[in-house]
Amino acid sequence: MAHPHERRSGGGLDRREFLLRSLGAAVALPSASAILAACAKPGEGGTGSAGAVGTGGVDLGGPYPIPTADSPVTWTIYDDVPPIADGLKVEEGATLQIYNWDQYIWKKQVEKFCEKHGADYKITTFQNMDEALTKIRTGELKFDIFFPTSDTFGKLISSKLLQPLNHSYIPHLEENVWPQLVNPYYDQGSLYSVPYAVYTTGIAYRRNVISDEQIYGMSNPYDILWDPAHKGRSGVYDSYRDTMSMSLLHLGNENVNTDKQEDIDAVEADLLDLIDKVDVRYSINGAYKLLPENQYDVHLSWSGDIAAGWFYVSKDTAYEDLGYWFPEDRRGMIGNDTMAIPTNAEHPVLAHEFLNFMLSFPAAMDNFAWVGYQPPQNEAQPSTLTTTESVWGEPYIWPWMEAAVVRKEDFERGLPQWELTPDVDDMWHDAWQNFRAGAK
Amino acid sequence: MRSSDALEPTKSERRRAEREAANETGVWYPKGYWKRFATPGTLWMVLFFVVPFYVIVSVAFGTVDPVFRSPLPVYQPWWWSFDAAAEAVGKIFGPFRQSYIRTFVFVVLASSMCLVLGYAVAYYVSRFGGRRRTLFLVLLISPFWISYLMRMLAWRSLLTNDGYVNDFLSFMHLPAVGWLEGEPVTVVLGLVYGYIPYMILPLYGFLDRIDSALLEAGRDLGASPSQTFWKVTLPLSKPAIAAALVIVSLPMFGDYYTNNMLSNSPRTVMIGNILDDAVNTSGQGPEAAVFTLVLMTMLLIPMLYYLRSTARELARR
Repeated sequence: MAHPHERRSGGGLDRREFLLRSLGAAVALPSASAILAACAKPGEGGTGSAGAVGTGGVDLGGPYPIPTADSPVTWTIYDDVPPIADGLKVEEGATLQIYNWDQYIWKKQVEKFCEKHGADYKITTFQNMDEALTKIRTGELKFDIFFPTSDTFGKLISSKLLQPLNHSYIPHLEENVWPQLVNPYYDQGSLYSVPYAVYTTGIAYRRNVISDEQIYGMSNPYDILWDPAHKGRSGVYDSYRDTMSMSLLHLGNENVNTDKQEDIDAVEADLLDLIDKVDVRYSINGAYKLLPENQYDVHLSWSGDIAAGWFYVSKDTAYEDLGYWFPEDRRGMIGNDTMAIPTNAEHPVLAHEFLNFMLSFPAAMDNFAWVGYQPPQNEAQPSTLTTTESVWGEPYIWPWMEAAVVRKEDFERGLPQWELTPDVDDMWHDAWQNFRAGAK
Repeated sequence: MRSSDALEPTKSERRRAEREAANETGVWYPKGYWKRFATPGTLWMVLFFVVPFYVIVSVAFGTVDPVFRSPLPVYQPWWWSFDAAAEAVGKIFGPFRQSYIRTFVFVVLASSMCLVLGYAVAYYVSRFGGRRRTLFLVLLISPFWISYLMRMLAWRSLLTNDGYVNDFLSFMHLPAVGWLEGEPVTVVLGLVYGYIPYMILPLYGFLDRIDSALLEAGRDLGASPSQTFWKVTLPLSKPAIAAALVIVSLPMFGDYYTNNMLSNSPRTVMIGNILDDAVNTSGQGPEAAVFTLVLMTMLLIPMLYYLRSTARELARR
């Protein structure tokens, strides 16, 4: 699944984006060991039953159950991958290996943590989840901390790539984190992960072109992306799940994880209409960078993107020009990221301490100020985020885009996107690629 | 006593013949001497073309990992599956047809513009460059000092709505243009800009070698300057034009970053973008490999045409 942080490439780094995307092709090529292992026909042989990997969830005949909001999953703890014992000492002279989205953690926080434990650190980055999973799976690199999306746990746990967490090292989870995310649907009991950042998916707009009253007054504000008044200046994410789910909501369909062909056909037609009406363009940096740079009037946007948009404004754009719309009844797309510890981590105790550190209020909030994505902290009252000053001496979220503040109740009302089965995923991709190619 | 004496030379006779031949040319080469020069090139081709090509074929007719959906190449042809290939080809003739046609149009337009502009420049430098010829050449090559991506990024900031290009247009009282708002013309011009040096350099190399005596002969026989150009220079430079066209158009067919950088609109999607998208979509590795094979096959056509026409040209001389 494409994801908010595919865009976290920083200012003007489309070049790096490009290079890394090209590398994707290289990654797809097999390693030498894969060639040697090609004695048997690949892709065959069972991976066990879904029930052995986790209980609950939706069993669609795949190798693991799929967690949904209504059918949460408790993942199995395997005998051969136990959590670490209580009360162990932190490894000495360690180098904490972090595997994360590009620009998705403030190094200063990592430095602070490492100073405390006399450790060193190394951050390795990835551009999309497929790339990350491919690398994690080779096991050649031993990471202590990994940032998986919430829809990858089936894959990771059925392949025994994550180790269960020992909560005695992570008291901040229960103390500080929103209760909705201490026991999330994708990992009941937080056996394998802790939440990192939360976000909603709404619409970013330039307030000097579109007024708050205009967009909030519309009967279907998603229509604004289809408004010919913004021809050539309207954008969607180059991320099939988010853009297609937005189109489902635009069509009044709240099933953002639909497996029905007719829904997907309707979405395809709806998106093609977007080409006809507004010459839509897709991008991954449109919301946080190109809209503040005055290249778009309106763009599909993750809340964290537009919250960080003020770092990128062009000379004739005021911070006040950036706005964010999310359904007032909060029935829109919602999501969160997680932190986890791979099975082959060399410093599991240090890694547990790190999770606990990142869930502490000061570290989480300073990291928020830099990254733009909000941590699900109890103490960070939504009402105060638009008034409290961050390390930059500005509010965490500008008061005029208060809709970008994520509230804990959103995780009861909002619409999460969960993993699609391969067949359904292919169906989504086909429609998406037809849209991308402007096919009629 | 050997019966075949008359027909087959003995070893010593053969050596003598070789030595005599060596005396004639003044140098004696051991057997297979020249062929050995092909070794590095052959090794290179096998390692970096034949093997990767076979991997692509194995991915195209292979399968995907059931859990991670990453491509799993199948190296044994008896296990190949052609499902992905059928699906991909169906898409090329179905929803992606327009993009394929568009790519052809873009490439033909951009290569023609490259040819017209590039020929004029190469002609000027080779015939009228005079003492400043080296300077001109350095200037022509200088864009290569900067990465293609950096140059495209520079264009992006020039072409934005409040960029210098639109500033200039409004200064001239012309309407501003949304260059980056998915305009096909921007993508075609981007291709021209990106690839034109590859057009100029081979053309220059060839035009520079045209014997001026031929041109003088044309003038002496009463042709006007333009007649000399059309009847002598242009026909002579045909092979160079063909070579330069092949050099610029082949990479254009697979180009995806020009569109990514300058447009990102479904209206300007090219073959390269479709391929790039498939490569980055989990579960579509085999399809991406099929798209690659189809593109390679398509590119063989101009390549073969070029080889045939140059061979004919050589035979004629």
